[in-house]
Amino acid sequence: MNEIIVGIDLGTTNSEVAIIENGQVHVITDNGRKILPSFVGIDDQGNILVGETARNQYLVYPERTVKSIKRLMGQDIKVDLAGHDYAPQEISAIILKRLKAIAEQYVKQPISKAVITVPAYFSDAQRQATREAGEIAGLEVVRMINEPTAAALAYGGNQVEQKRMLVYDLGGGTFDVSVVNIEASVVEVLSSHGDNHLGGDDFDQQIIEYILDHLIESKGVDARQHSQALARITRAAENAKFVLSDQPFVKIEEEYLLEHEGAAIHLSLELSRLDYEDMIEDYINATIDSVHIALKGAKLTPVDIDEIVLVGGSTRTPCIRERLFKEFGFEPHSEVDPDLCVAMGAATQAAMISGQKVDAVLVDVTPYTYGTSALDYLNGEYYPYTYVPIIHKNSALPIRKTEAFFTNHDGQKVVDVTIYQGEDPDALNNIKIGEFWVEGLQDVEAGNVITVTLALDLNGMLQVSAQEKATGLEKSITIQNALSRFELETLDSARRRVNKLFGQIDQASDVHTESPTDVVEACKLVAKAEALFDKSSDEDKEDMIDLIEDIQTCIEENDSDRLKEAATKLADIIYYLES
Amino acid sequence: MKTPYDILEVAEQATDSEIKQAYLQKVKQFPPDHYHEQFQQVHQAYETIKNLKCRTQYTLFTLPDADFNRLLDAVFIFEPVVSINADQFNKLLGASVDDKTLKIATHEMMKII
Repeated sequence: MNEIIVGIDLGTTNSEVAIIENGQVHVITDNGRKILPSFVGIDDQGNILVGETARNQYLVYPERTVKSIKRLMGQDIKVDLAGHDYAPQEISAIILKRLKAIAEQYVKQPISKAVITVPAYFSDAQRQATREAGEIAGLEVVRMINEPTAAALAYGGNQVEQKRMLVYDLGGGTFDVSVVNIEASVVEVLSSHGDNHLGGDDFDQQIIEYILDHLIESKGVDARQHSQALARITRAAENAKFVLSDQPFVKIEEEYLLEHEGAAIHLSLELSRLDYEDMIEDYINATIDSVHIALKGAKLTPVDIDEIVLVGGSTRTPCIRERLFKEFGFEPHSEVDPDLCVAMGAATQAAMISGQKVDAVLVDVTPYTYGTSALDYLNGEYYPYTYVPIIHKNSALPIRKTEAFFTNHDGQKVVDVTIYQGEDPDALNNIKIGEFWVEGLQDVEAGNVITVTLALDLNGMLQVSAQEKATGLEKSITIQNALSRFELETLDSARRRVNKLFGQIDQASDVHTESPTDVVEACKLVAKAEALFDKSSDEDKEDMIDLIEDIQTCIEENDSDRLKEAATKLADIIYYLES
Repeated sequence: MKTPYDILEVAEQATDSEIKQAYLQKVKQFPPDHYHEQFQQVHQAYETIKNLKCRTQYTLFTLPDADFNRLLDAVFIFEPVVSINADQFNKLLGASVDDKTLKIATHEMMKII
């Protein structure tokens, strides 16, 4: 039997988990709901809340609740949750752990692997943080795929006729646009562009500002100082946005919003769709600009596009459809639920990886140009930070490129390799994503050849190496954001911290019939051992079978000490066989 | 050294759509998930010869360096040796008009020498 790999859409506002069952995509429900709001909270008893309950708690205890954590992924900051500091990875891990439990409850077996989607325009640091969140949650992230690509896969994975699609993905916090060619069940992304800080949250913020201004003008109250009132205004703004998708006007009403100088303040004001559309016009213009950049990247024009696919809840805004209709001359599609198609695509990719028969092949690209800097002419002047692009945007993944450089002066012992992301000819105007030195070079004249190799894997993660050609002296790094890098040790302690939070809910509710972690670990070992049977000697195989039987008895008898002992022995054999 | 045509297993006279179909078949044979290097090779081969403009660029790039000079030498110095007629010479001169004529003209010249 194949090991189950789940597909997860870890969204800014909502998250979902899906699997492929008998060739069909199934979004797993939790208490009848397919969507888990991406909210995390801790209630006054110290219990952890994830999803709808946390979302509800946000109104009463905003300081005990975290929302839209995805917007902070990859940044070196901590968020406060009920008086404790957590890294964004840890908060995301809590959501992932909940999704894992939902899936485990459905398939009735432990799950340890997942395909997680990320916005196409997510940077290296943001991808790294997502992977770490998975690890903290006890999920091996076997692949990260881009959200618009996942949506394209859900839409067109089984299509044979040629079709060119534009995927317009506007979520809670991020915007992506991809041009995709589907033909002979090859789903090929031709280009991607986006903005990793533009989404429905920004639309909410516009309405929030409008309400806050109204309160200052009409009541002389600054509601920013009142966290509860602000939470209610935030929710009211969000609801107003939803209503305006269907109605030309909305009444925003919140009674007893707060007390000011002994008097109760009630909120009541009207907002028209036209005014709202004015507020968000700049954002919509920015997305349309990105659409044109993506088309240009694919060397296509709007007439070449056969279909537009809308992804993400924010695409329900009517003026977005209108703008796209104006640009392309036809209506966008939304047959597959824009909230679910990303998770469905992730599940399809997961099935491909686990070896289930899926006909489609996926080819994706990087939305970024990566390169290094060197001493060269820029605008007619010698400039030490001239940008040398090595991997160009919209290159198909995986990709490996090498460029040769020369030392600049005689007896140069050290070269500094700095890696940038961006397209500006002046490297300093691009984003610096990593730097290292190659030291101990030969004592030779200037012109010593140093090659720099950039390799971008299917997850969109970059590996850089530099080599002195004459001697083979090499230095390499995997780019991680130096700021948010989690050392292995802190990852472990983060995992323990998160597990502990869940330990409290495990006792409080009986829905969680899932196995404790040591059992899950042992099951993983057993699966690994069985996979090695073919390669091992009869003697080793017999030892492993004995240990596996031992482990199974221990699990049945709930003997965790003996289980640990057997698992350690089995792990040793596996280690020996694999090395 | 394998040419892009070898990699995709298509004839040099193949049309855009034949080349594209061959590419899609090769991608299915070597999906990026499991065949990193082969996939990259297939993808690059396709990018190199996917349309006439690319194919012409590839042909010109892979022509031996001295060939244009040899052609001119042949015309001006050893004219009697190579039987290049006025029509062929005009074709070569008019080659910059568009990529297709250039490709055909250089091909014809190559055959002669």
